Amino acid sequence: MPKKIFGLVVLVVVVVGVVGFVKGLTSNATELGYNQGYEPDQPIQFSHALHAGKNKIACQYCHTTTEVSRHASVPSLNICMNCHLSVKTDGETINKKEIEKMTSSFYADKPIKWQKVHLLPDHVKFNHSAHIRAGKSCQTCHGPVETMKKVYQYSSLSMGWCVNCHRKPENKASINCGTCHY
Amino acid sequence: MEDTKLNSNKKPGAPNYWLSLEQWRQDPEFIEKTKNEFSQSPLSNVETESGWARREFLKLMGASLALTTFGCVRRPAQKIVPYVNRPEEVVPGIANYYSSTMIEGHETFGLVVKTREGRPIKIEGNPDHPDNQGGLSASAHAALLSLYDPDRLVEPKRNILNKNKTNADMISTTYEKIDEAVSKAVKKGSVAVVTQGQKTSASKQFFRDFTRATKSQLFFIDSVDETTVKRGQRASYGKSVFPRYQIQKARLIVSVGADFLGTYVTPVSFSKQFSKRRNPDGDMNKLISFESVLSLTGANADERFQVKPTQKLTAVMAILSDLIIKKGRTSYSADRRVVRALKSFDEAIKALHLPEGAISRITDELWSNRGKSLVLSGGMQSKTSKALELQVATNFLNSVLGNDGKTIDYSQASQRGFDGGAENVNKLVSAINSGKIKTLIVQGTNLAYFLPETSGFKEAIKKLDLIVYLGDRNDETGRISDYIVPDHHQFETWGDSEGLSGVYAIQQPTIRPLYKTRAFQESLMKWANLSGMGPNRFKEESWYKYLQEHWKYNIWSKNRSVSFASQSFDDFWYELLQKGVFDTSRTKRSRSTGARNFNISQFSKISPSEEHKWELALYQKSILKDGALANMAWLQELPDPVTKLVWDNYVCISVQDAQAQHIKEGQVLNLKVGSTSVSIPAHIQPGQKSGVLALAVGYGRKGAGKVADGIGVNAYQLAQYNANEVAYSGLPVEFSSTSDYVELVTPQGHHSMEGRQIAIEATHDQYKHNKEANIHRHKIFSLWDKHEYKGHKWGMSIDLNTCNGCSACVVACQAENNIPVVGKKYVMEGRIMQWIRVDRYYSGDPNDPSILNMPITCHHCDNAPCETVCPVAATTHSDEGLNTMTYNRCVGTRYCGNNCPYKVRRFNWFNYTKDIKKPLNMALNPEVTVRVRGVMEKCSFCEPRIKSAKEKAKQDGRALKDGDILTACQQSCPADAIVFGDMNDPNSKLSQMFSEKRTYSLLEELNAVPALKYQTKIRNTDKLKTENSKKDQGGH
Repeated sequence: MPKKIFGLVVLVVVVVGVVGFVKGLTSNATELGYNQGYEPDQPIQFSHALHAGKNKIACQYCHTTTEVSRHASVPSLNICMNCHLSVKTDGETINKKEIEKMTSSFYADKPIKWQKVHLLPDHVKFNHSAHIRAGKSCQTCHGPVETMKKVYQYSSLSMGWCVNCHRKPENKASINCGTCHY
Repeated sequence: MEDTKLNSNKKPGAPNYWLSLEQWRQDPEFIEKTKNEFSQSPLSNVETESGWARREFLKLMGASLALTTFGCVRRPAQKIVPYVNRPEEVVPGIANYYSSTMIEGHETFGLVVKTREGRPIKIEGNPDHPDNQGGLSASAHAALLSLYDPDRLVEPKRNILNKNKTNADMISTTYEKIDEAVSKAVKKGSVAVVTQGQKTSASKQFFRDFTRATKSQLFFIDSVDETTVKRGQRASYGKSVFPRYQIQKARLIVSVGADFLGTYVTPVSFSKQFSKRRNPDGDMNKLISFESVLSLTGANADERFQVKPTQKLTAVMAILSDLIIKKGRTSYSADRRVVRALKSFDEAIKALHLPEGAISRITDELWSNRGKSLVLSGGMQSKTSKALELQVATNFLNSVLGNDGKTIDYSQASQRGFDGGAENVNKLVSAINSGKIKTLIVQGTNLAYFLPETSGFKEAIKKLDLIVYLGDRNDETGRISDYIVPDHHQFETWGDSEGLSGVYAIQQPTIRPLYKTRAFQESLMKWANLSGMGPNRFKEESWYKYLQEHWKYNIWSKNRSVSFASQSFDDFWYELLQKGVFDTSRTKRSRSTGARNFNISQFSKISPSEEHKWELALYQKSILKDGALANMAWLQELPDPVTKLVWDNYVCISVQDAQAQHIKEGQVLNLKVGSTSVSIPAHIQPGQKSGVLALAVGYGRKGAGKVADGIGVNAYQLAQYNANEVAYSGLPVEFSSTSDYVELVTPQGHHSMEGRQIAIEATHDQYKHNKEANIHRHKIFSLWDKHEYKGHKWGMSIDLNTCNGCSACVVACQAENNIPVVGKKYVMEGRIMQWIRVDRYYSGDPNDPSILNMPITCHHCDNAPCETVCPVAATTHSDEGLNTMTYNRCVGTRYCGNNCPYKVRRFNWFNYTKDIKKPLNMALNPEVTVRVRGVMEKCSFCEPRIKSAKEKAKQDGRALKDGDILTACQQSCPADAIVFGDMNDPNSKLSQMFSEKRTYSLLEELNAVPALKYQTKIRNTDKLKTENSKKDQGGH
């Protein structure tokens, strides 16, 4: 009965295919769209390890709006120039080149287009100031930035990751949908 | 006779409260329509329009689904571009607020402009401004949209015109070329400048400086002439003033055609004052209205009488006659001149056909409220050829009643310019015709649009050598101009306003000019200087400098003793920019003034006017007003507060006339006034006086932009100019019906509530007797556990008694929440997106109904029916009582919309907001998610505002207090009808409102336990129009 066998083979193939597809989809799905470890090249090789680590500049010296706004904000060039007017206007070759990139675009009045590292999923709103006020340190979410020569995404920034923290009673955080989605 | 015929049409099942005539008649077609929320399948339309077959659509959908599954490994990289030099006051993510002011038509608003990252995204009323007191009208909100209007001119233009000034071939040009050409013409002389009548002291001074130096003539011309009030004051009392009407001081207001809640002069300010005396527990005021067209004022009147436009004068004379001759209340009964004038109206008074004893009752009430009443007349719909006589008669009545100097403040009340009268049009036209004017400079007034054939303007301009238009687009006036010099938008430039005399406000730019535009003042300065005639004050060529100097020498230095002006000018200036308003009138405001002497000789000249069989009344809609903002889609799609129609212009005809003339809704009529005729669809309007046709101005625009062009006809063309008067109303009209039909669209019909207890009203007497009058309370029990609210529990109360239905809340919400406009076709299909709607219910006889307005938005129910049916938990309940939408969870089953008893959920059929292109996208509020196709949305109780208020309180280290959070609708409500707050706080304003006995929940019997509650409407009448039947008083 070749017809029956043929039918059976088709069925098996289909079932295996579907199971495999769904399994592949679901196992990947948790990772889908999250970019943990994402470490893009930046227009200037700015090293947090040097500034925040070695030189111990406080995070909020540059990311000035963290305490007041939802955005931590990438610093404007005039903040860089606060120091680089007098500090390290020249130095080792590689650094000099990078610093010059910054100073020249400052004097040319041209903003720098940084690559966004931490990309929240769509339709989510996150407020830096609320988390800072709650006493969370920057490293809780951003990881050991002071050791990063090049910034990468430390946490998954998935909803489960957010909610796990919000659920802890000691954090007294709201788990209404409307807390982040509105 | 007619009445009985109509009533016989009433079907047994017809409701006492009805939304449209179709519902009242119980048309089978209408009943069928109410069964479905949406009237057509979305795909059927797409297929016919673009030829997309359904299968092809599904195929493509399948393909794109496959692509999304495999392609979505990582999202596209984004860039962050910080400032090079961040301005200190700009914090990304934090809004900045700038005080400002705005002149819109005849109204002045104190504003607070909300900007995000340097672009204005919302305008709010300045609560410190004594004129609008934080309120804002729908059209004022739309001024924001006009900043980002894609149809604005982005650079100077030149039109190549033929001899008839008709050929509109537009080419680009430069400021240098224009400056050269215009300054040459200015040097030659024979120049006239035309501008709006509404002028502040600074701009008046500026125009005077320019015209004096260049020896040119100055004309003030307004689209809607309201100078009659001033001229009436001069005729009656000898001095030309525009009085400050003290509506809050009046217990009884009689309005004769003056739509002061909708369109007359300053509706927002008047609404604020009117609603303050609508408290039924206090000394509640009473409003009596005489009008031809059902206006917002008539809709809110406790008693309303219908008269033809030409009969308005008769109505005032009837009151006077009853008061003076019949009742002999004053010594004027012995004055032969007065008696003769009144007697001449005897016939006309009989022809009024008012209900038996109505006039006598009104005069008794007026007399017992002497000095505490107010008679108002005016506005477009009462501007007949006898408009001046109407003013004189009204003034006389106010004088007889002792209101002058009490509810009418004339002392420091010359509110505003109002110089733009019809006599100026005649002067301008004859000056052009006599060759005295060769160059015409038009600023900010669209002459070619609103001046009709009868004014002679269109013929006269052919004699001009050069027309320069300082406008913002190639509109009607642009098309007859040689040069269009684009002006800044008012949010891009400096200016000031003086709404009430002595109340100065400053307008500061809130965004850098978007395009290559130039402030019109700087254009004029440049031309004066280039022609070698510029005065010294123009040498700087900076309008800002000029304005500041003016404030220094004419305002600050003269009021050093008033509030913050005692400091140095620089300090004063910065404080002014912060506060936005400098009120010098406060000290003088309470001073009482005596009554003025009335000039009887003017009154004795009044004679009855001729009544016409069919009279046309041109009127302004309270939304679109004079049509200057016609290109703002928010306004076009806002249902008219009275007719509830959108996107259309129509002629209103009374119910009984329509029946007698066999005219159906939407049937196109040809109207003819004099030699001008127009074709326009008819709308059958309950409550309109029979024998009157009413047509709104503001439509029929050409060149206003993509939104406004092609809608309706230009009704200004039917106005009649003669000598010094323009008649908009009481025009003899002929009409004939055609066999064409136009579908007039309203979103009202499909939100029908099937005759349950919805909007509740009671008379003031009923209320005094029983504060819960007419509310049918239900015994309800629940199977559900109650929600527990430990912190806040948000709620809202809407007082139906103060709400006048103006619909400013709808546009405020639209601006705040990025709500798209869908267009006429989709409104027809039931897809309007506005989160608030204002339901308008008629009750009683369609010929003379009473009107009830009810704003409805999401009720944020405790037992929310929508939450339980959502298969994906996209709509959930927060621990503060909010019913929240998580847009990215929503898969668009629309079960929630189906299960909502209040029909407040809106479904995104298309990617409306995503389709908003530059520069309109700049008006979007970044705090509110922009929704995509296939997602349900609804009112969020302005959740982002709640959040930012909480943030602010935490930032300041204090607890959130009552009044910190204002929802967008509440904030701009001109009647203060909406209160938002915390139900868990017993001292909040909201808790106080909820503790009022007349508070009720909509559809209480469903036990949804809404957080939005209403207060009953209380009417200051003897009897409700629905008195005979108890059917709608909770019958179910």
